Amino acid sequence: MAGLGRAALVLSLALVLYAALAGAYAAWRRRRRLALSAQNALLAAFGTTLLASGLLAAALLRHDFSFTYVADHTARALPTMYTLSAFWGGQEGSLLLWLLILTGFSAAAVWLNRRSATDLVVWTTPVLGAVASFFAFLLVAVSSPFATQPAVADGAGLNPSLQNPYMVAHPPMLYLGYVGLTVPFAFAMGALLSRQTDERWIIATRRWTLTAWTCLGIGQLLGAHWAYVEVGWGGYFAWDPVENAALMPWLAATAFLHSVMIQEKRGMLKVWNMLLVILAFCLSIFGTFLTRSGVVSSIHSFTQSSIGPWFAGFISAITIGSLALVFSRLPLLRAKTRLESLLSREATFLYNNLLLVALCLTILWGVVWPLITEAIRGEPTTVAKPYYDFFLRVFGLPLLLLMGIGPLIAWRRASWRAVSQTFLVPAGIALVAGLGLVAAGAGSSIPGLVAYTFSAFVLASIVYEFVRGTRARRALSGGSWLGAFTSLIGRNRRRYGGYVVHAAIVLLAIGIAGSNAYQTVREQRLAVGQSMQVGAYTLVYRGSERKTTPQGFEVRGNVDVYRGGQFVQRLRPGKNHYVREQQDSTEMAIRSDKLTGEDLDLVPDYDKSGNFYLKALVKPLVNLIWIAGIVFLLGSLIALWPDAREQRRLAERYAPRRALAEA
Amino acid sequence: MARKRSPARLVIALSVAAVLGVFLLYTSIAGGGTPSLQPGQLKGRTGHVTLGGVVVRQAGDARSSGGLRFTLKDRKGSTVVPVVYHGTVPDMFREGREVAVQGTLRDGIFVAQRDTLVTKCPSKYVDKKN
Repeated sequence: MAGLGRAALVLSLALVLYAALAGAYAAWRRRRRLALSAQNALLAAFGTTLLASGLLAAALLRHDFSFTYVADHTARALPTMYTLSAFWGGQEGSLLLWLLILTGFSAAAVWLNRRSATDLVVWTTPVLGAVASFFAFLLVAVSSPFATQPAVADGAGLNPSLQNPYMVAHPPMLYLGYVGLTVPFAFAMGALLSRQTDERWIIATRRWTLTAWTCLGIGQLLGAHWAYVEVGWGGYFAWDPVENAALMPWLAATAFLHSVMIQEKRGMLKVWNMLLVILAFCLSIFGTFLTRSGVVSSIHSFTQSSIGPWFAGFISAITIGSLALVFSRLPLLRAKTRLESLLSREATFLYNNLLLVALCLTILWGVVWPLITEAIRGEPTTVAKPYYDFFLRVFGLPLLLLMGIGPLIAWRRASWRAVSQTFLVPAGIALVAGLGLVAAGAGSSIPGLVAYTFSAFVLASIVYEFVRGTRARRALSGGSWLGAFTSLIGRNRRRYGGYVVHAAIVLLAIGIAGSNAYQTVREQRLAVGQSMQVGAYTLVYRGSERKTTPQGFEVRGNVDVYRGGQFVQRLRPGKNHYVREQQDSTEMAIRSDKLTGEDLDLVPDYDKSGNFYLKALVKPLVNLIWIAGIVFLLGSLIALWPDAREQRRLAERYAPRRALAEA
Repeated sequence: MARKRSPARLVIALSVAAVLGVFLLYTSIAGGGTPSLQPGQLKGRTGHVTLGGVVVRQAGDARSSGGLRFTLKDRKGSTVVPVVYHGTVPDMFREGREVAVQGTLRDGIFVAQRDTLVTKCPSKYVDKKN
């Protein structure tokens, strides 16, 4: 079985290499049939990779411990769901998942665009093939999931903290995002190589970018939720390099999603868009590498990891190669129009882009800082939370404000008079909200207060925009308010979906600011019957119980929660012990108040004599972070939903040019 | 060039300047971060550092007044440093695993700051085979 798996991967490598080399030759020499065979090779590579993935999944489910990968990452007692999720629990399996998604996406993207953008696809195929070749090569030669060993009686098991439903969904979601960004990158390169630098590459990949970006965002929130419920420190994001690894490409892709609209509408920022898509793609490769090898603590671990030098080489090659390509095509990327005024929709998009990229690059700087300092001074220096928090405030708060300004400002040139009239209502609401918050005691944290006032402003301007649009639509076509509202969204899915995403980001900002700026923490040792106070809660410890489980045993401390003298709930934080993995796993308890969005987190600990220690955190508005995830998904779906009218419009717009290209 | 300069360039130039300014301001106030060292590089250092290494021996209890006592070894090398630590111990903490902890070296013993012990992220952690 392992031999078949290896053979399937070798075949995948041969096919994607063929797609890259034959595809490039065909595109260069304009050999139509050869180009088609390269595209078919890409489709076939998906088949062989799917076969290899199926074999690995089967080996996992059969507990075939003659596979080194299966023996290292699972055990017999492991529940089936986690046995399957061990597919992406280790380096080899997750590289295989990367290749599977990449070949699947490549096949789909090539297939869907083979008629509407033939001239682009001819050059996109070799780019996709080249990226896939890199991963296929790693899987065949460096880090094979099909390595075998003499079968052992039982495997080493999966790390207990990964045995959580959120950890089942989080990595594949992130990978869909990382890999999805390959498609716009490949089409961008295809456009440059084929010298077809009109907006078609953007239009062909808009939904790919949006999907990848949505998956990346949702994947991060799933990871944050996992950290919150499983890692047991009452937080959800710690600026760990691995977390930053997903945040950086997401920020770059966010900038890209905004700036392509400027290129579509006004024919500007062509070079900038190329640079953004290159940045997003390189960061997604870098992110894959970070999560898979855990570098950046030191240059030494960079070179020690078996895949490290390969990734470093690949990232350098694509950065240099794609930048050189952009440089050589600069004359083709000249803007059609210029920015007319610094007070216009275009300008706010430009500010938004600069802020997003600045935030992204400062995070990158923080992540690679240990490498830089080690190279210069001989010893690595790390930056921590204060560094990132500082820049999140410096760049993030203006971004929040821009989200309220951008949608209301006119294209091309806005007059100060019109602007001040438009913003009268939202700014007034924000001012009232800010004063109300100060009265309510939110002034204890200035960044928190600023974030809340800005959030009120953005929400007010989004609602205002919806009301204005609905009113105009109803005046135009009559009918009910609800009918006008749905038809408004239905006819401008991208725009209003975008506003819903903005609302989600505001909810996220409110949740983050609330849970950080206004949280309360207490930690105490508790004897049976003893109580402690945290926020408005009184916690009484009622002793611990021990129970045997299939994988070991668990201990739970019974904690009665009182609020205002009233008993509200018994929470049972504790520890699970896993025999096979020889490890404890802290199981914190959370009480979410649905009405106020306030969370009470109990993190338990026992010392060696069995004494119970309790860390209690009261975090206001944490719920909003998870609700933001749902709103974010909703907004993305609205923007993604296929729109026949839009397709027809685009087809008409680019039809004459395509006819010319095909002639 | 006869063409009038686009205001976009002005904006970009000003923003780059602003970002650099903010950056310099930040680094001058907050300093350049915490040095992260391995036991072999610790000798003679008196400042606050992050110490990273492999746990070789452990005894005691992080919740007792005596604290958790363990020894950290270089990832590659043999220098060891004794560490005394109080506070929360991550689930992943075990002999043979790589951890990082903040603190200062006092009389040959690394006195760790409370609750700063972290282990490497589990998703990329694979146990060394014996």
